[in-house]
Amino acid sequence: MSVVIFMLLRLAPGNIVDILFAAGGYVSESDKLAIMKELGIDRPIWVQYIDWLREIMTGDLGKSYRYDLPAWQIIKPLIPVTVELAILSTVISILLGVPTGVVSAVRQDTALDYALRVFSLAGLSMPSFWLGMVIILALVSWLGWIPPVTLVSPREDFRIHAIQFLLPALAVGYRSSALLMRITRSAVLEVMREDYIRTAWAKGQSGRIVIWRHALQNAILPVVTVIGIEFAFLIGGLVVTETVFNLPGVARFLVQAILWRDYPVVQNLVMFIAVVVILSNLFVDMLYGWLDPRVRYGD
Amino acid sequence: MRLVRLALLVTLLLALVAVGTSVESQTPQASQTPKSGGVLNVMQREDLAQGFSIHETATISTVWPSMPCFNNLVLFDPLKPVESMDTVVPELAEKWSWQDNYRNLVFFLRKDVKWHDGRPFTSKDVKYTFDTVRVAKDAPAKLRINPRKDWYANVVGIEAPDPYTVIFHLKRPQPSLLMMLASGYSPVYPAHVPSAEFRTRCVGTGPFKVKEWKKGEYIEYARNTDYWAKGRPYLDGLKYVVIPERGTRTAALQAGRLDVAFPGETSKATAEQLKAAVPKMVITEVGANVNDNLLLNTRKPPFDNVKVRRAFSLAIDRRAYVKAVHQGGAVVGASMQPRPFGFWGLSEKDLNQLPGYGKPSDDKAQAKKLLAEAGFTATRPLRVEVKTRAIAIYIDFSSFVINELKQVGVEATLTQIETAQWHPLATRRDFLVGTNLTGLGVDDPDGNFYENYACGSPRNYTDYCDEQVMKMVDQQSQELDRKKRMALVSEIQKRLEQDGARPMMGWRLDYFARWPYVKNLVPHHNIYNYGRMQNVWLDK
Repeated sequence: MSVVIFMLLRLAPGNIVDILFAAGGYVSESDKLAIMKELGIDRPIWVQYIDWLREIMTGDLGKSYRYDLPAWQIIKPLIPVTVELAILSTVISILLGVPTGVVSAVRQDTALDYALRVFSLAGLSMPSFWLGMVIILALVSWLGWIPPVTLVSPREDFRIHAIQFLLPALAVGYRSSALLMRITRSAVLEVMREDYIRTAWAKGQSGRIVIWRHALQNAILPVVTVIGIEFAFLIGGLVVTETVFNLPGVARFLVQAILWRDYPVVQNLVMFIAVVVILSNLFVDMLYGWLDPRVRYGD
Repeated sequence: MRLVRLALLVTLLLALVAVGTSVESQTPQASQTPKSGGVLNVMQREDLAQGFSIHETATISTVWPSMPCFNNLVLFDPLKPVESMDTVVPELAEKWSWQDNYRNLVFFLRKDVKWHDGRPFTSKDVKYTFDTVRVAKDAPAKLRINPRKDWYANVVGIEAPDPYTVIFHLKRPQPSLLMMLASGYSPVYPAHVPSAEFRTRCVGTGPFKVKEWKKGEYIEYARNTDYWAKGRPYLDGLKYVVIPERGTRTAALQAGRLDVAFPGETSKATAEQLKAAVPKMVITEVGANVNDNLLLNTRKPPFDNVKVRRAFSLAIDRRAYVKAVHQGGAVVGASMQPRPFGFWGLSEKDLNQLPGYGKPSDDKAQAKKLLAEAGFTATRPLRVEVKTRAIAIYIDFSSFVINELKQVGVEATLTQIETAQWHPLATRRDFLVGTNLTGLGVDDPDGNFYENYACGSPRNYTDYCDEQVMKMVDQQSQELDRKKRMALVSEIQKRLEQDGARPMMGWRLDYFARWPYVKNLVPHHNIYNYGRMQNVWLDK
C-alpha cells in the first residue's frame, strides 16, 4: 500500500517547485534544481521511498515542503476535526436510517413506506456537498447568519461548536442515512419472512419484541457492515463538505496538499486514512461476533 | 391642521435623517474622526503561498495578508484610489530627492523606527533588501524565487553613507523607480533576519505584528504598540480568514462574519447579488490592473508571421469579449490599464484604430484576407491547439477565443493544462497559442514593458522581440517630461497591438465589497498596493 501511495503521487505532473514558481510567475531552471536539491526531491524515487519508510518507522513523518514545518505538526490538529465530523455524521445516519428502515419494512407498501422511500431516495440523489451549499445559502438568505468561519473549540463556546459540526453532519448524515434505511429495510423484510419470526408472532409476543429483538438483531449484520464502510469513507471523503463549511479537517487539507504536491503531508494523510479504513473494518468484523453468537472466529 | 403640519414636519425630519444616513456612506471617510479598537475580519481565498515572503512571490494571496507586517520606503497613498507619481507618500523614508538628473535617488530615513523584535531600523536594512532583490554582485543573501529582479535592472549600486541615508545609483535616468518602490511588492526586510525565515514568520516594521498563523485556517495580527506613526494603527488587530470555497466566502461576507472582501475577488454578478441581499454593503468599482491576454508564440510558424498574429487579433471582438466573458465587469484596453482606472491607457479614439476594436464584420473580413495571404484558406485551414490553465476563468476566456477564431476559418481546439504545469510550459514556450492572465504590480510602463515585452525577459512568453520597440521602451523610461513620455507609451502600445505581440482581450474590474462601518479602506485601481491597513478603523 505504501508503494501505491508513494508512486501515485509522483505520477501526477509537476512538483512543489513548479507550484512555487507558478506563484512567482516564471521558472528558472537553475533555481528550480537548487530548490529540488534542498528539498531532497532530486534524488532517485526509490531512495526517497526508502527514506520515507525509515522515517515512518522512527516516528518521523518528515517536513512539509510548503510550510517548512514537521508534517505531524500540520496533520495533528486536523485529525480531531474530521473524526468528530465523521462520528457525528455516522450517529445521525444511524438515528435517521435504522428506525426509518425498520418502520418502512414493517409497514411495507403502505403510504408511510412510500413516503419514507421517497425520503431516502431523495437523500441518495442529493450529493452532500450540494446539500451543504444549500444549507449555507438558505441560512444566509433567510437569517442573514451562518456559523463562524473559523473553528470554535468546545471549551470556548460549546453551543457554537456544536452548531459548526451539526450542520455539516446533517448534510452528510442524511445521505448516509438514506443508504442505511434501504439496507435496513431489505434486511428486515428478509428476516420477517423467517420461520422463527412467525413462531414468535404465534407465541403471542408483542410487536416491539418481535421486531426490535428478533428481527432487527438478525438483520443487523449487513447494516453494521455498511456503517463501517461509510465511516471509513467519511474520514477521507469529506473534502467538499469540509470545504463548504470551512472546517479545517483532514480531507480539505489533503486537497490543498495535493495541489501543492506537498508529498510528506499527502503521503502521511493518505496513510492515516488507509489505517482508519483497516481499523474500522477490523472493528466491524469483531462486532459481528458480539452481535451474532453464530459467528465464531477461530472455532 | 396643526396635526397635519406636525406630521409633515416629522416626515420631513425623517426624510432628512434618511438622506443624511445614505450620504454618510458616500462622504469621504477621511473627514470623520477615527475611532480606535476592534478587529477587522478579512477575506483570504487561500493560505499563504510562501509565508510572509513577499519578495519571493507574485501573488495577491501573499501580498494582501502580509502587507500589514511591513513598511516600504515609500507607498502609494492608501487613501487615494488612483496610483501615480503624485500619490507616492513617505513611509520609512521621511523624504527623498532625485539628484544628478535622475541618476541618483536619495532617501532620508526615519530615525524612530524599530523592527518587531526591538532592533533599530537603519539604512543597512534597505541596502540589504534591495541588493538581495536585484541580485547585486556582493548580495548578502539569495532569494529562493525572485520574480521582480528585473524591476531593479537599472540600479548599479546602493550606498548607505550613514544609518539614515540611502542612495540608489542608476545607470540612466529612471523616474519610475519610485513607482516600483511604492508597490506592495517592495517591502524592506531586516538585515538581521535570514530571508528564508519569512516563509514561516514575520519580522517587519509595519503597523501590525503577527500573532498567530494557523496553517490553512487564519493569520492573526495584533497592533504594533511601538509603531513609528503615532496614534496608528487604529485597529487592535486583523484576522485573515482562509476560505477556499468561493460561495462560502461570499456567504461569510454577506452574513457579517467577514468585514471586507478579497481584492480582485468580487465579480460584477457577485457584487449585484451582494448588494441585492445587503443594500447597505459598500461596493466600489476599481480597476484590478490585471489583464487577459492572448499568447502567440512568435518563434514558431505560423506565428512568426506578423500577418497571422494580426489576423488572430482582428478575429477577436474585444467589446463582445468583455460583455460575454466578464458580463461587463471588465474594460477594453491595450497593454496599459485604460483610463480612468489607469494613467497610461490609450484613448478610445486610438483604441478604435487597433485590430479587434473596429466593426466586427470588417475586422473578421480583414482577418480572413490576412490568413489567405499567409496561405490559410477554407480548403487548407489553419489548425491550432489553444493551451490554457485548467481553471474556469481561463477556460471561459479560451472558449470565447476558439469560437471567434472559427468564424474566420481557424480550427482551434482547447487543451487544459494543470496549474503546476502551466508556468514550466510557458517558460519552455511549449505552445503555439495560449490564453493567459497577467497582473501588474504597478501601473507604470517600466513595470510592464520590461517584464512582459522585453527581448529575453523570462516572462515575455511570446518571445516577441523588436529592436525599434525596445529603443522606444528605453526612451520612455528615461523621459522626464510626462507628456512626452505619455506620447511614447501610446506609440509603443499601438505598435504592440499592431504586431500582435500579446493581444489584449480586456482589463478586469474588481467590485470590492466592504461593510459600511469599515472606514479608510480605500481600494486602489491595483489590487497589490492597498493592504497596509494602518489607517483603517471601525465605526461600530
